[in-house]
Amino acid sequence: MCYILAVPTDGLVSQMRRGALEYCVLALIRDTPRYAFELIDALGKTGMLTTEGTLYPLLSRLRRDGLVKTEWRESTDGPPRRYYELTAEGRRALTAFRNEWVSFRAAVDGILQEAKKS
Amino acid sequence: MTATHADQLIAGYLARLADAAKALPQGPRTELLDDMRRHIAEARARESGEETDATILNILDRLGEPSVVVAETRERLGLQAVQPYRPGILEIGALILLVLFWPIGVVLLWISPAWNLRDRLIGTLLPPGGFMGVLIFGLSVATVQGPSCGGTTQFGALHEMCSPTAEQTAFAAIVGILLLILPLITTAYLAIRLRWGRPAMMRFA
Repeated sequence: MCYILAVPTDGLVSQMRRGALEYCVLALIRDTPRYAFELIDALGKTGMLTTEGTLYPLLSRLRRDGLVKTEWRESTDGPPRRYYELTAEGRRALTAFRNEWVSFRAAVDGILQEAKKS
Repeated sequence: MTATHADQLIAGYLARLADAAKALPQGPRTELLDDMRRHIAEARARESGEETDATILNILDRLGEPSVVVAETRERLGLQAVQPYRPGILEIGALILLVLFWPIGVVLLWISPAWNLRDRLIGTLLPPGGFMGVLIFGLSVATVQGPSCGGTTQFGALHEMCSPTAEQTAFAAIVGILLLILPLITTAYLAIRLRWGRPAMMRFA
């Protein structure tokens, strides 16, 4: 992570992070619906999300695209919470991204390893 | 409770957010503001221990600068800035001609995209015909009144034969002034409705 932060091409890294973030959100709700704060906690720990407020536009976008659906649930210790749940379309998008990501990561890793050896 | 300024801090943040989000379309703007309000409420409920002003400031800091959150909304939702229509010669011409030469003025009023349907209807119906309409209206009143006064439409004779009472003269003067002022009021209204220099708005691409 420190390495990533030190990369001078900050624009590229932040764009990659932004692009990957929406699939990280989809992955986090793959098995169980979650509410925004659970996502913030999980993403914050990994450094994927530094500005918490920017998660909400992303969630709106996923909902508009039909990748997630939402449901209000009462909470025992505060106001009602909006839970985000993966739709069938969201599941397909996540699978497609996972396949792309695995081959992309393998390709980049392979080239980086080669360059390091020579 | 030592968060003496909690409500002020939160209201200030939300006001800055609402201001930054002004250009967003209604739906996304309302949703963003609601999400932020609920986030703050939830964050406060989650905090254990005594709530201080610092607690609130930390919650707002983690949430991020309103401009950053709004910029993210714009990017995520693929919104584009649309320059509003800028009023120009067409509108100035329409305003002047509505008063001086109504038929062309009203055509320009309907051609220009600067006014909405209500403005156009007001401009068309309220002082019917601008000054030209007033003139026609005045002449028709004169010709209708003429015969009833003395059977002649000639102005010179009219004065001699009909001597209007003081009330009639005053009433005619008031109506006359009203008729002259009305087109100017309507034109001023339409000029205000142009909203010169409106800021750019965001639209779905």
